[in-house]
Amino acid sequence: MKDFARRMVAIDRRLIFLLIAGATLLPLLNPFGLPIKVSPEVQAVYEYIEDLPEGSVFLLSFDFDPSSKPELEPQAVALLRHAFRKNLRVIGMTHWITGTSLADGVVATVAAEMGKERGKDYVFLGWAPGGYALIISMGQDLYKAFPSDYSKTPTRGMPVLEGVRTLRDVNYMISLAAGGAGIEMWYVFGKDKYRFEMGGGSTGVIAPGLYPFLRSGQINGLIGGLQGAAEYETLIGRKGMAVAGMDAQSATHFVIIILVVLCNVFYFALRGDKGRPR
Amino acid sequence: MSEAMLPTEVVLGAWVATGLTLFIYSFLYKDNPLFKLGEHLYVGVSIGYSVVLVWYTVFKRLVWEELNRGNYEPLVGVVIGVLILTQFFPKVSWLSRIAFAFIVGFGSGVSIPRAVSSYILKQIEDTVNPLLTMGADGLSLGLDLASPQSGVNTIILLVGVVSVLFYFFFSVEHTGPGMVTARTGIYFLMIAFGAAFGYTVMSRMSLLIGRFRDLITFSGAAYGYATLVLLLITVLSLAGWELAVRLKGGEE
Repeated sequence: MKDFARRMVAIDRRLIFLLIAGATLLPLLNPFGLPIKVSPEVQAVYEYIEDLPEGSVFLLSFDFDPSSKPELEPQAVALLRHAFRKNLRVIGMTHWITGTSLADGVVATVAAEMGKERGKDYVFLGWAPGGYALIISMGQDLYKAFPSDYSKTPTRGMPVLEGVRTLRDVNYMISLAAGGAGIEMWYVFGKDKYRFEMGGGSTGVIAPGLYPFLRSGQINGLIGGLQGAAEYETLIGRKGMAVAGMDAQSATHFVIIILVVLCNVFYFALRGDKGRPR
Repeated sequence: MSEAMLPTEVVLGAWVATGLTLFIYSFLYKDNPLFKLGEHLYVGVSIGYSVVLVWYTVFKRLVWEELNRGNYEPLVGVVIGVLILTQFFPKVSWLSRIAFAFIVGFGSGVSIPRAVSSYILKQIEDTVNPLLTMGADGLSLGLDLASPQSGVNTIILLVGVVSVLFYFFFSVEHTGPGMVTARTGIYFLMIAFGAAFGYTVMSRMSLLIGRFRDLITFSGAAYGYATLVLLLITVLSLAGWELAVRLKGGEE
């Protein structure tokens, strides 16, 4: 047993990379359709949007860049499909400069798919500097913060922004966040001051840190990582990129759990063995 | 639009994305020139893209166009920004302190009250929930672990907060009951770290799934079999590089 354990802990780590690659690739090529259970925090976001009356103002902040695209783009697509289906007026923007054209592309693609028109049904404001100062500025005067949208059309007089002067006129806001300049910033400088309801979508890495905000009611719901996106796709009945990736996610987790258990077995088998590899 | 009629820029973009993904993943074999090329391109393109966007968004849209409209408000920000640049000129570098004083003063003034309200008061409010709730049958202690507001969860939360705070309280020696409390705090911390690590693994796997999904898409005929061709090129390049290194008689 000790010899086997010694050989195993000294195994070329590239074999483990191959194992993970295989566990990811095979379910993507041949999905086996594991069931997806919707969590209460994702359900809360869905229900809030579902209950909004037609024509309500929905602000979606794309606070991520392409490095978080696999997790947050499916969330954005699912949320936009839901919002457009409910005929909400959608305002898109971003705090992450390197995510600007990605965000514009996502909004434009989903809007085209749902037959929505730029300026009338939705607007993408783009990026502006300032971070929290920008949120405060939007809370005072949206048109000063964004005199024109991403496509250089003046925002004042846009049909989609009719009756919208500040953040106080937003009915629901969601930040899709990959870091600090996201949900927390929107809550601290936006919701807490200008009193609009907000939810969040985040990468898996930052999701555990956001649960205290969810518990305390500072955000009303949270979509966490690819799993959260898959749950939202299930809720709106449009299975897409996230659901397709969940089988691969489960398979890789299974492989990782097996590897962790085996490593612990080998570790205990070699405990006290002076010659064990480091 | 049919797959066979994809625009040239889309196909070109797919080839670039596929190539760079494979170059970056080649690091899993070992550090190599292809990985370095991908890494440097990533840094350069990110910075270049940011600079262009800042130029057009900040300078052109928020400053230049506003000045042309007769609105001189942005000049205040421009002057403060220019003062920061005086750091590069030792004789007038003291002027940058004015800008920094403004930034620190404004930042603190805006952030501190909001941070106290959001991070401290609201969180304390949630930590000290009532243990018992009044229902139709009188007072009761909620035992539902799935409900965040139940009494049993309130107790767990309270024990967790107090024990973790005590673990980081170094003014008294952690002996006797103090040691028990501090150890309880460690267990809570370990569970929190475990949850965070689990989520991190899930997140990293999601990124891998995203890249693989793109690689599968770009392996089709509509994209000129980009993945297959570039995978072959990457593998052959790595093999050639490995051979060259070995012929030279050592690792790079």
